[in-house]
Amino acid sequence: MFGVPNLTILVFGGVTLVAFAALLYWGLTFGGHD
Amino acid sequence: MADFITVAVIAIYFLLMLGIGVWASGKIKTTEDYLVAGRSLGFWVFILLMIGAVCSGMSLLGVSGLGYRAGWPTMWEQIFVPLSIGFCVIFFGVKLHNVAKSAGYVTVQDYLAHRYQSPTALRSLSAVAGIIVSLIYLVGQYTAIAIVLMWLFAIPLWLALVIATLVTMVYTTIGGLYAVAWASLIQSIILIVGIFVMAPIIIFYAGGFTHVNEYLATVNPNLVMPWMPTGAFAPAYVVSFAIMLMVGLACAPHVINNVLAVKDVKYFKWAPIVAFAVYGIAMFLLKFAGFAGLVMVKEGVFTLPTVSNASDFVILYGIQYSLPIIALWAIFAVIVLAAVMSTTDRLMLTIGAMCSWDLYKKILKPDASDKSVLLLSKVIVVLSALGTMILAINPPDALASLIWMGIGIMLSTFAVPLLAGLYWRGATREGALASMTVGLLSAVVFGALNYFKITVLGYNFANLPVHFSFFPFVIAIVVMIVVSMFTQKTDQKILDETQTGWYISKQ
Repeated sequence: MFGVPNLTILVFGGVTLVAFAALLYWGLTFGGHD
Repeated sequence: MADFITVAVIAIYFLLMLGIGVWASGKIKTTEDYLVAGRSLGFWVFILLMIGAVCSGMSLLGVSGLGYRAGWPTMWEQIFVPLSIGFCVIFFGVKLHNVAKSAGYVTVQDYLAHRYQSPTALRSLSAVAGIIVSLIYLVGQYTAIAIVLMWLFAIPLWLALVIATLVTMVYTTIGGLYAVAWASLIQSIILIVGIFVMAPIIIFYAGGFTHVNEYLATVNPNLVMPWMPTGAFAPAYVVSFAIMLMVGLACAPHVINNVLAVKDVKYFKWAPIVAFAVYGIAMFLLKFAGFAGLVMVKEGVFTLPTVSNASDFVILYGIQYSLPIIALWAIFAVIVLAAVMSTTDRLMLTIGAMCSWDLYKKILKPDASDKSVLLLSKVIVVLSALGTMILAINPPDALASLIWMGIGIMLSTFAVPLLAGLYWRGATREGALASMTVGLLSAVVFGALNYFKITVLGYNFANLPVHFSFFPFVIAIVVMIVVSMFTQKTDQKILDETQTGWYISKQ
């Protein structure tokens, strides 16, 4: 895809998605106080 | 190359920064105003201050330069540098902000001194270590400024350095963190909008995204893979590189101190994902622009200058040949200057804070008046600017290497005492002192062996399978655990006051 091997897309896309999901989870669960 | 429009564009930008400094100077009444902006930063000012601090000279020149040299395997940088902001906010920011507000911390050294019951030894050691790594980092920033000004105006290196240093120094000195934060707001907006507009133009000019990737694969198939088969950017290296960038940058003094200046901890809820998305997309685009530069060089569209750090020029030449309008080059120069200056100003202020607050006010002269501490902060900002300007006259071969060395030393020195201090009640003062000392010294040794390609007992340290900072980081962890196990535990009262334990926030 886009001239790049599927492995490259899967690896970078996968890591980015996991990071995004983790930060989204943080945002949804953090109460904003100590 | 310079014409009236170019000079005018750069001059307007510099005047804007100086204007922010003058405006901010009116808000400075106390040292706390100067160093933590009266703990008044709002959501977007904080996010863009963090992006500005993390996004440095390497972010524009080095990121695209590295993409030019090694292709897709270097893309990990574009995931883990943006993640460092989230790591800093989540794992350091929430606790530090809460404790700082009640305890009145001005620097992260205040926390270390409090948590480890070490008002003199650990405070001075961490301040000195912070000053050393900040100076290394600062030299890399000034080098980047000089590259841009030399390219645009074809002026000598010393003159480029003097111009850039004076402007940054003046607004930082008079306006403190208020000026740095509001300048970063403007600089980060210029930077992000600039990348979003200009990087796609370079990629389009090189033949489009798919063509660039296909061409990279013909130059070397490894350039489109997620990692290299051996050496730098092989899988093991990538893991150590990711840790270094994400954790090392998060605990860098000029980054972590920003969490003390936020108005409300609730801003930490969405700051990590917003910073990751905005900064991450910009950095991806920039890396692709570096790939596009490689294609243009290989296709003979332009040639890079015959200097040792030629790859750092690729984005500049890419924009020059994709947009043959001189006024636009000046705007791009402003974008690069914005990226570099937004880190440089924060670094200089951080050095000023560590000298005037941690070393002078808290150790050498506790009864010093607020006025004298404020004055000393300003003097140190000036001295650090002038000192690093002189150091930057002989620029390093590759900007990225020098800046990574600074981040690697930050990781080895600060990450373990901070993380252990916040999350492990068993971490002791002696453990922190030993960990920080051994971490700093071993990082300098491993960094030097690696950078100068030194062979010891038949092994060439240029061929390390991981980033050099991985070894001192692991050594610092082991030293912290072992020394803490055999030394006197910290008072329970102090541990409770500093919210130490296996939690991020009590909800």
